[in-house]
Amino acid sequence: MWKFIVRRLIITLPQLLLLSLLVFFMASLMPGDAFTSQIDPSLSQDAIEEQRERLGLNDPWYQQYGRWVSGVAEGDFGTSTAHYRPVTDLIWERMINTIWLSLLSVIFIYAIGIPLGIISGRWNDRLVDQIITGYTYLGFATPIFIFALVVLFFFGFTLGWFPTGGSVASGLEPGSFEYIVSKLHHLLLPALSIALIGVVGTVQYLRSEIIDTKQKDFIITARAKGAPESRVYNRHIFRNSVLPIAAFFGYEITMLITGSVFVEQIFSYPGMGNLFIESILIRDFPVVTAVVLLFGLAAILGALLSDIILSIVDPRIRIK
Amino acid sequence: MALLKVDDLKIHFPIHGGILNRKIDEVKAVDGVSFEVREGETYGLVGESGSGKTTTGKAVMGLNNITDGDIYFEDSHLNAKKGKKVDVRNDIQMIFQDPYSSLNPRKRVIDIVAEPIRNYEKLSKDEEKKRVQELLERVGISSDSIMKYPHEFSGGQRQRIGVARAIALNPKLIIADEPVSALDVSVQAQVLNFLQDIQKEMDLTLFFIAHDLGVIKHMCDRIGIMYQGRLVEEGLTEEIFNNPQHIYTKRLVAAIPDVDPRNREKHREFRAQIKEEYQQSFYDYFNEEGLAFNLKQITDTHKVALPERG
Amino acid sequence: MSNQQTEKVIEQKVEKSPSGLSIFWKEILRDKLALVSLLFLVLTTIAVFGVSILLDKDEIVRVDPFAIYEPPSELFLLGTDQGGRDIFGQLIIGTRNSLSVGILVTIMSGFIGIVFGVVSGYFGGHVDNVMMRIVDFFMVLPNIMIIIVFVTIVPKYSVMTFSLVMTAFLWMGIARLIRSRALQEKELDYVQASRTLGSSHMKIIFTQVLPNIMSLIVVTMTLNLAANIGIESGLSFLGFGFPQDTPSLGTLLSYATNPTTLEQRWWIWVPAAILILVLMLAVRNVGEALKRAADARQRRAS
Repeated sequence: MWKFIVRRLIITLPQLLLLSLLVFFMASLMPGDAFTSQIDPSLSQDAIEEQRERLGLNDPWYQQYGRWVSGVAEGDFGTSTAHYRPVTDLIWERMINTIWLSLLSVIFIYAIGIPLGIISGRWNDRLVDQIITGYTYLGFATPIFIFALVVLFFFGFTLGWFPTGGSVASGLEPGSFEYIVSKLHHLLLPALSIALIGVVGTVQYLRSEIIDTKQKDFIITARAKGAPESRVYNRHIFRNSVLPIAAFFGYEITMLITGSVFVEQIFSYPGMGNLFIESILIRDFPVVTAVVLLFGLAAILGALLSDIILSIVDPRIRIK
Repeated sequence: MALLKVDDLKIHFPIHGGILNRKIDEVKAVDGVSFEVREGETYGLVGESGSGKTTTGKAVMGLNNITDGDIYFEDSHLNAKKGKKVDVRNDIQMIFQDPYSSLNPRKRVIDIVAEPIRNYEKLSKDEEKKRVQELLERVGISSDSIMKYPHEFSGGQRQRIGVARAIALNPKLIIADEPVSALDVSVQAQVLNFLQDIQKEMDLTLFFIAHDLGVIKHMCDRIGIMYQGRLVEEGLTEEIFNNPQHIYTKRLVAAIPDVDPRNREKHREFRAQIKEEYQQSFYDYFNEEGLAFNLKQITDTHKVALPERG
Repeated sequence: MSNQQTEKVIEQKVEKSPSGLSIFWKEILRDKLALVSLLFLVLTTIAVFGVSILLDKDEIVRVDPFAIYEPPSELFLLGTDQGGRDIFGQLIIGTRNSLSVGILVTIMSGFIGIVFGVVSGYFGGHVDNVMMRIVDFFMVLPNIMIIIVFVTIVPKYSVMTFSLVMTAFLWMGIARLIRSRALQEKELDYVQASRTLGSSHMKIIFTQVLPNIMSLIVVTMTLNLAANIGIESGLSFLGFGFPQDTPSLGTLLSYATNPTTLEQRWWIWVPAAILILVLMLAVRNVGEALKRAADARQRRAS
């Protein structure tokens, strides 16, 4: 197991390097100066050239890359061209919102997905299973943004049960009970939108895993020994099938990121995904670069985390 | 005269492991094997599973990377490192063990048999079709079946199609890698006899790989016995069967069932006796690692791997 | 005797291996849902491409200040948008555009994925190891965001560059799938046999391995088409898909980001939403039927 973990860590290093190179490459293609954002495009051509020379933008790319990476490592992402504030500050506010949204989505995914998967797998081909399978069939084909729009339309506008934008009602004291309730109230619809679509994979995995395990010899043996059905399920089948689900958390991060980009936009929820779209529309490239890098980092580390958890939970993948 | 000469052939497969997936050990599948196959004869290579006989055959065919040693066919050096590789594929062909996986299930018989022809000769569609039909007739398959798929044939018939493909280019040497061990016992003899007929007709040299001594005795002129990647004994068929020298060969020969029921009791005693001798004298015949010694000439034709001693 | 012979002939007829196409066709006929889906797809494609030739595109995208936000009427079958443009016409052209880009991206990404996967799987060893680490890397990335960034910074933006950007970040799934099948396939003796018969690696890959995994390729590409239609409309929805003057199903939906439109002018976005959903479901149904047929075929041929 340790061998696997160390090997997996070693693979992560080139991944991080590749990610930083890709983002750097993207940033250098962006018009203007995405790294320092200190050039005023309205200056004359000569003045710009002089500025570029002074800021080191005419240096060979690897020197610029080195400077950029060491800046990033210290948490310096440059200055936003639109807000004239350090990118780090700007992102920090939004990041907390996105983390709450993702956390709640994940909780919903497990809270909904695990029971549905278990029910569907245990009573497969019965009516319940057919209903759940029908749901996953539709959910798999529904793009998240359409689903979120419909959810917003019904629960936000038609029924008016939930707020249709923002992260908290204005005029509330941060930390007060009302403030927290209002936050949750704002979070609920976006998180449910992500979860109800994101849950499909979990349900399908659990269902097929349970149906598969049901026919394994050790389950038949347990039954033959006279173990009651509930014990067979609780002690033997679920333990085998549910544990790997915990490990999928990291892989879900990429899905959560994509989901948050769409859902935050639709619910005007002030998170990172929303910031990303805003910034790209106003060509605030230092912010864009930073958000992409952070999301990429989260996805790579998530996959790493999942692989490690999986290697602990499931001994089969250690021998690879 | 030697058609095929294998000289001190070594094939080692690396085992990867550890944190960086580096080579940590190797399997010595073939470890210093030398033999010759003479023109027109059938040379048999016998051994248990994992003894390296198939690896040796595939190495001659160029399907395995050779760690060390040389292979000569006629006068050309097959695994020369420098200079361009000699392509002797139209002179050496192979028949595979499993007639099910060795024929592409999605190709028609005509495409399967014509594959080597298309690679080495330029023929028109009609000429090619005629050639394939001739080849099929020759191996005893109706020439009407060229448009069929492999799964429409039985195992024995499939192996015949494999043979038709192998002889399509008029090769000089055919490597038969356990050609009948995947077949029903009832059709084994049929296919073997048919192989002998083809050999006579086409003046072929056969390099026969098998684990079944009965098959080998039936087919071969000379035999090499392999154990753990090394040859333990080599000689004419009669020498091996009537006068085995190495204890491993003795045991193999003793293991052949006797068809006469009256001798059954005697045979069992004999086998038990050989087994005991094998266990007692194992270290007289193998070195500390359990490997065979180098071959030593005992008659003109007979070589045995015995330790260097008085 | 003659009776026996005719029986034998009949038996051979039955035994005759059915072509891939006929198995696909049989499976689709048996699965009513897939049949309806296929019919729907074919009819939609014909209708959309046919009608869009008749429609005057300039007329549809022309802003008409006297017809802003008209509800459905005889003149405008599905009403108009904030520029007074006919929604029905935009729906037709939008569907055509979404389908075309979906198919284009599926084919291009499929091509890259297949070549990458088959080379990786066939050669195996170190080549495979390195190539699969590259796939792993691209697979974890939040690709939708990266596509959005490239879409905004690419010079001379057009439908073609949009498709290329999508392709560049959507080929990994199919590569991984094809690779694992190629890995299994090359272990079979017939590949080795082909080597001994003097066929080159390239020839074996293209004439032996690829045809044998063709059914997997067809199935995967179909399922990918459904996903790509979704991704395209999602990007267009956010405003990073088709160029401004080219309607797509996603652009129609993006009008719904205006709360009043979402709440009160359903005719603008609901038809597009339903169409995307139904299109994706239909393509998937066909894909699933093909998958079952391919599995059946796999069982037969051995």
